[in-house]
Amino acid sequence: MTRHLSPLERLPRLPSIVRERVEPYFEALDVMTAVKDPKIFASLGPSGVRGLILQRGKQGVPTLIGSKHKAHFDWSYPSDQPEMLELYRRAKAGQWDGERDLDWSISVDPDNPEVPMVPENFFNADKIREFGIKLTPAEGLRLTHSTVAWMLSQFLHGEQGALLAAAQVTEAVQFFDGKLYGATQVVDEARHVEVFHRYLDTKLDKLYQINDNLFVIIDALMADSRWDMKFLGMQIMVEGLALGAFGMLYRITKEPLLKSLLGRVIQDEARHVHYGVLALREHIRTQLSEAERQEREDWAFEVALLMRNRFLSYEVYEEWFEGLLTRAQWQEVVNTSPGLELFRQVMFSRLVPNLRDIGLLSDRIKPYYAEAGLAKYFDGVSARELDETTMISALDAAGSFEIAAE
Amino acid sequence: MGTLEQLGLALTTPVRRRLEMLRRDLSMVGGRVVLGRRAPVLVDRSHAGARAWAHTIPRRPVRVTRVVHETDEASSFYLEEMDGSPIEFEAGQFLTFSVEVDGVTLRRAYSLASPQLPDEPRHVTVKRMPEGRVSHYLNDHCAEGTILHVLGPSGNFLLPPLSGRPRHAVFIAGGSGITPVMSLLGTVLATEPASRVTLIYGNRRREDIIFAAQLAALRERYGDRLRVDHVLNAPPRGWTGGEGLLDPPTLQQRFDALGLFGDTGPSDEEDVEVYLCGPSPMMQAAHEALRARAVPAASIREERFTQPEARTEARVYSTTPQPMSVQIRGLHADTVVKPGQTLLEAGLEGGIGLPFSCAMGGCGTCKVKLREGEVEMDEPNCLSAAEREAGYVLTCVGHATGPCVIEVER
Ligand code: FES
Ligand SMILES: [Fe+2]
Ligand SMILES: [Fe+2]
Repeated sequence: MTRHLSPLERLPRLPSIVRERVEPYFEALDVMTAVKDPKIFASLGPSGVRGLILQRGKQGVPTLIGSKHKAHFDWSYPSDQPEMLELYRRAKAGQWDGERDLDWSISVDPDNPEVPMVPENFFNADKIREFGIKLTPAEGLRLTHSTVAWMLSQFLHGEQGALLAAAQVTEAVQFFDGKLYGATQVVDEARHVEVFHRYLDTKLDKLYQINDNLFVIIDALMADSRWDMKFLGMQIMVEGLALGAFGMLYRITKEPLLKSLLGRVIQDEARHVHYGVLALREHIRTQLSEAERQEREDWAFEVALLMRNRFLSYEVYEEWFEGLLTRAQWQEVVNTSPGLELFRQVMFSRLVPNLRDIGLLSDRIKPYYAEAGLAKYFDGVSARELDETTMISALDAAGSFEIAAE
Repeated sequence: MGTLEQLGLALTTPVRRRLEMLRRDLSMVGGRVVLGRRAPVLVDRSHAGARAWAHTIPRRPVRVTRVVHETDEASSFYLEEMDGSPIEFEAGQFLTFSVEVDGVTLRRAYSLASPQLPDEPRHVTVKRMPEGRVSHYLNDHCAEGTILHVLGPSGNFLLPPLSGRPRHAVFIAGGSGITPVMSLLGTVLATEPASRVTLIYGNRRREDIIFAAQLAALRERYGDRLRVDHVLNAPPRGWTGGEGLLDPPTLQQRFDALGLFGDTGPSDEEDVEVYLCGPSPMMQAAHEALRARAVPAASIREERFTQPEARTEARVYSTTPQPMSVQIRGLHADTVVKPGQTLLEAGLEGGIGLPFSCAMGGCGTCKVKLREGEVEMDEPNCLSAAEREAGYVLTCVGHATGPCVIEVER
């Protein structure tokens, strides 16, 4: 799994009119050739084609994704997972109403510099300038508006994925207490879809299409028939990504409605990840062969890198800079932006310890994570050791509103 | 690429679906490579339809437990919440009934007539009004077990707290204006042993008197603490009570007959309070008569929504959508009032938390200051002339005739 000079990096010598047309495919190729393990390739490959090449999420029609998982019934109603039952109790008590509990009368003006959605230095404006593009302050604000709308759109699409995946997982999971808990997660995700959609529709008045890479991940885990892969994909990876992104935005936004919305959602998500950790820890330790465990370990690593490297707001790029910057240049802008750095930090500080906790961070894979610069998260706190309130107070405590790039 | 139909093939649905998908897949790739066209970055929301959160004024179901015919024209409907608990209210308040008649939602207020006592079943009493679609609907369709939809209770026609002295509550009521008065006087008699009540109650004929028997029973029970002065416009032969319309001369005569508001001035043993509820000519007459007796305005309370003659049916005030800005809690929100919508409906639909209670002009909860623009209001409308003068409007009956800016002051 060594890094190589990517096809994308070799591309810039093409004339720009040709480059624009084929660049996305080289990028796709880049993503897929990075996956070396044939098993992982077999599991992610078809989703990669559907998402990156065929852009199934952007065709303007509903997407149908088949799944062959088995619904797991148990007619003896065992009390099998006290910790999950406890989560179920907490979830019932923690229900909120997206209609009643958020103040939708707050008016949001994303172009108002007094109440910034995200701080000014969210983007690496110097990089953009270096590439020869000057943005007026008003344009800068609108670019941030676009980016926030893009992020929230992806959250929304992710929440839809979570809603449907949580329902599948509730069918497939073999723990009875897990099914009860799972039902609350389905409701939670529906509420998240509701509030993000409402926010985008009524406050930002904009909705971006699903990002191709996000589509790949959702497609892969929805289509996988193995329940633990769904779990791993949804409860650990996508939820981890979501928590990272929510946490980042929660910390930096000054927009009061968005902040309270995210605060609510984060507390729900904290339970979701906790549940994922509980279910998988047990399963991976007791039910899987070492080969199967390794497969999941590699899969998680690839998906983590996919999330880290590829979640690059290309839709914003296409809207703003297509023809002005190359995709590689855009990558550089995003990758050096303080906002993204903070996002990665929050995301991996949650994700890596969770992988450790469920047994997918053995010494075998650690060097690869280390190579990707993630070793500093090896000893962090996992979701099992962190409840909803602690998570929010940790964010609040860390919550300097400015982005302090490391 | 032609459509599949143009290929003239008879295809089964699953095959057609697959081919459709293939066509879309190919056109995604082909469009990009050949035509340099990429997928749009934004989701097309133009067909998304009405927003799921566009909410309307919330109403709740209540159950009719009993129907009692009070007169030929009026019936009482006993109500409880769906879980069987009594409806919480304060004496003098009303419920707004939201009824669908011929596909149109109509809202009308009916006062609870029961005293505010824990175990007393709650009821409203509804008299058929000529042309009154809701009153007819209720009288014709309600039976035990019927589910009705209500908002509230709302309203400020309430008993003020006692000042330390007992009160002498003087009620002047006309026709169905008796309903909140029944609640108020029943509550005073039952809960304030030292207070007393005088009721001047105007009707056309004896048969029209709603609650005649109940009032007689209260007389029996409370003796001198309750005086009831029936005044009939068309009295039967041998009638010994008051006669005439409740106009200023008749009222003066009744005041004299009852020894009310005499020259000696108010006593220091009790607080005299006057409560008015009835048709607007009666209300005006009462104000005039009371003014002539130097009764201070501060001791007069009135319920003004029950003026069926003043009701305007939903008119269209503007045929184009009008922008509305709302200043609320130091924040600022914008929305659009569609033709036929009230300001309240438009605000709620836009997710703005405008205050309201009765949603039919009767309680004043939705009062806002009109900062800019023009607003026309339906009747009934409980704003006083002074409030209208000062630029207040009720959003629940207000319609924008042009762009407007309103401010929620609380
Ligand atoms: S809400 Fe009662 S008057 Fe408007
Ligand atoms: Fe969620
Ligand atoms: Fe979730």
